Amino acid sequence: MTITTSMDDMATRTRRFWLRRDVLHVVGLWALITVAGVLFSIYVPAHLMGPPASGTMREIEATMTAFSIAASPVAAVVWAVALYSLIAWRHRGDGPPETDGPALRTSRPAAAAWILISSFLCVLLLVWGLAAMGSVASAGTTGNPMVVNVTGNQWLWTFAYPQQGGVESDQLYLPVNRPVEFHVTSVDVVHSFWIVQMGIKVDANPGEITRTAVVPDKRGTFDIRCAELCGLLHAQMETSAHVVPMAQFHKWLSANGGHP
Amino acid sequence: MVKLGAATPVADGGGLMRRLNMGTAVAGGVGFGAVGWLVAHHFLQTDVPATSNQVVIVTMICWSIGFMAGIGAFNAPLGWLMGRDLGHEDEMFLAGKDQGVSRYFRFTTDHKVVGIQYVAVTMVLLAVGGTLAMLIRTQLSHPNNGFVSPQTYNAMVGLHGIIMVLATIIAVTGPFGNFILPIMLGARDMAFPRLNALSLWLLVCAVPLLLSAAFLGGIPTGWSAYAPLADQAGPGMNGFLMAIIVFAISSAVAGANITTTVLTMRARGMTWNRTPIFAYGTVASVGLAIPALPLFMSAQILLAVDRALGGQFYVAAGGGSAWLYEHLFWLFGHPEVYVIVLPAVVALMEITPVFARKPLYNFNAAVVGLIGIVGLSLMVWAHHMYISGWAPDLNGPFMLTTELISVPTGILFFVVIGTIWRGKIWVTVPMVAVYAMLWNFIIGGVTGIYLSDVPADVALHGSMFVTAHFHYTLMGAGLTGAIGALYYWFPKMTGRMLNQKLGMVAFLIVQVGFNVVFLGMFAAGLAGQPRRVYTYPPTFATANLISTIGAYSIGIGMLLTLYVVVSGWRHGPLAPANPWGAKTLEWAVPNPIPLANFEVPPVVIADPYGYGEGDPTTRHWAEEPQPARAAPVPAVSGSSADGEGVAP
Repeated sequence: MTITTSMDDMATRTRRFWLRRDVLHVVGLWALITVAGVLFSIYVPAHLMGPPASGTMREIEATMTAFSIAASPVAAVVWAVALYSLIAWRHRGDGPPETDGPALRTSRPAAAAWILISSFLCVLLLVWGLAAMGSVASAGTTGNPMVVNVTGNQWLWTFAYPQQGGVESDQLYLPVNRPVEFHVTSVDVVHSFWIVQMGIKVDANPGEITRTAVVPDKRGTFDIRCAELCGLLHAQMETSAHVVPMAQFHKWLSANGGHP
Repeated sequence: MVKLGAATPVADGGGLMRRLNMGTAVAGGVGFGAVGWLVAHHFLQTDVPATSNQVVIVTMICWSIGFMAGIGAFNAPLGWLMGRDLGHEDEMFLAGKDQGVSRYFRFTTDHKVVGIQYVAVTMVLLAVGGTLAMLIRTQLSHPNNGFVSPQTYNAMVGLHGIIMVLATIIAVTGPFGNFILPIMLGARDMAFPRLNALSLWLLVCAVPLLLSAAFLGGIPTGWSAYAPLADQAGPGMNGFLMAIIVFAISSAVAGANITTTVLTMRARGMTWNRTPIFAYGTVASVGLAIPALPLFMSAQILLAVDRALGGQFYVAAGGGSAWLYEHLFWLFGHPEVYVIVLPAVVALMEITPVFARKPLYNFNAAVVGLIGIVGLSLMVWAHHMYISGWAPDLNGPFMLTTELISVPTGILFFVVIGTIWRGKIWVTVPMVAVYAMLWNFIIGGVTGIYLSDVPADVALHGSMFVTAHFHYTLMGAGLTGAIGALYYWFPKMTGRMLNQKLGMVAFLIVQVGFNVVFLGMFAAGLAGQPRRVYTYPPTFATANLISTIGAYSIGIGMLLTLYVVVSGWRHGPLAPANPWGAKTLEWAVPNPIPLANFEVPPVVIADPYGYGEGDPTTRHWAEEPQPARAAPVPAVSGSSADGEGVAP
């Protein structure tokens, strides 16, 4: 009996809360900011990251968009309350307010809702992240990948093709749509091997071999940079990755003394 | 010679202790440093890198010992060792009683003096670090700029980074944790007043060590000082590692002191439910620093062994590993961001109820949020090493802990917006700092979620995106909170009001400039610009130009802020005891604050957030500031008041 009454009570109070004028205004503001956030999420981050040159990069850009969309309503709650309070609840005049605000100490439903929703979003992000991580990890390793040995050296990259007769080059040549695995190391300090448009990066550590893999699926010339401060000319430790058709790749190999 | 002189035991009621100050400290440091250099130089050859590092490190150790002896840090312990304890007169002298301005340049134990000294050190560090930031942005204003050489650029990036990290670590805990916190708790001083002075002067001792790097070839490794690049670096690196070692001791001493103060020095009746959230957050911060900083210190000691004694801890060819350094560094490095952010956020949480005229919303949730952050932040360090190749299989678990931390952090946002909800918002600079934090820290937090995601981090790691992200947290929340706290507590600390109108203009210029800089930097990072580069391909030109324009705007705003602070300190209207009508205990003591803070120890019967509750006639009301008198009055509190004695 008492439980029903208190439930009714709470339902009435909740209904009354949502019909308050300031609550409606905040909700409107929240909707506006959320829509703006979602539009921003769809058009801006992926656009700034540029056209992807691999499935991995496509996956990363989708993640950026999805996370931005998921974050929009949360950020909008905070910003809508903040903005509305500055407009509507602001004390005008120079001195301190004459009276205090309402002595609201806590609200169990609000706290519970906040914690539940933020935990749920957190789990969602985690599941998305693990799924994306799995699909990225399997991308380059399937189907007999071609191995390229990458060596970082203050301040240049060297690429060797052990399966193609040990061809060495300071520019990276890759056949399009062929899985490739990079075995990365360094001869001096820590570098980080980064093919920007393919969304792969792994540190080059002295004395260790680290691995990463990718399937380049777009022809063109892409940027390789060093992503770990490695001394004086770190800024200039960059070169190009050329993704070319298989025939052209073979031609390049033979011209450099290798074999397909 | 100097060291031996300084270490002579204290004579009763006077003698050496009374003659020591910052001047004798510098003389002691330079003198003993010179002795160390001469001796080391005589016995070691300087043409080999390892031995030249030995000479530099020996000199720096001698500087530190000489400086600390010269300031009088060893007087009391050595006196005690000789069987002579400090008498009441000596304690009063150490507390700075009746000494006027000179007590700011001594080994003074009064927590209010130490707090002001921390303000000064923080401002010096921010000024140097900020100037370096302006120079860095000038170099990056357009591609292939020849403003500075690559060598100078790298040196500036390293110095800027470490100076700003140290400055933001102390920016709230140092000034306000020392000056305000004990009064807020109803205490007469910190738990260990002499340790308080020790922590401050160790910090002062570390600053020249750090700045000496600028003249010894700089810190070419960035503030993270990854090995083996740090093994390879020139003698400036020794300044870095020695400064970190001394700073870590300072931080440990301060952390033990603050924790003990909060645990044991609270006024009668101040139960945990009535303890201000600022006390919780400060303890959370130093509680993280106590395990974190020693790891950084160990990393630097191993580096010193590598550099000077032929160790191979980080050198793969000798069986060492770069990953070892990375782990030690990030085991410190990730808790460290919360060491910086938590005090700033709780200062703003202390400010919010005052200017919204409402109780702090959901106090218990705020405490749980802080505890959650402290616990989780010790388990997330390897998200800085997703792409290091150290253990790819562990990326998943570290992604889990990292993303979980968004839940307790979200609770802190919930508390702040719940407090603002339907409040009577009194728009002052401290309150605007709360709003700025709500804007900046959301952006810093959301971009942190991208970086916690392994595939996204693979694309963004080491790019300008990361730089922008952590500036949004450390500057957008950390420094913004420190500035808000300064405007809020300045009337209590100096007895004078700051100019709110000009202060507001300065604050907004900084905030707008800040957002311009780092939104531009996000764009550059997403497009693939690595961080810590002295030049970049022309595709990033627009984003970098935008960042540079924003940086100059921060510079102008910061200079204006400095003007507001300095002019307010000298000529501001006299502050009443409680200008904001706040309910925490520090506003209950008069201006200037008596030496022992409270004539009668206060008894606490409620929490300090009871706005809108109880009998309205007993409420604190904000008092009007008094116009400055024509005759100069002591600008700083405490000098004329007659204290009954320092805390036992």
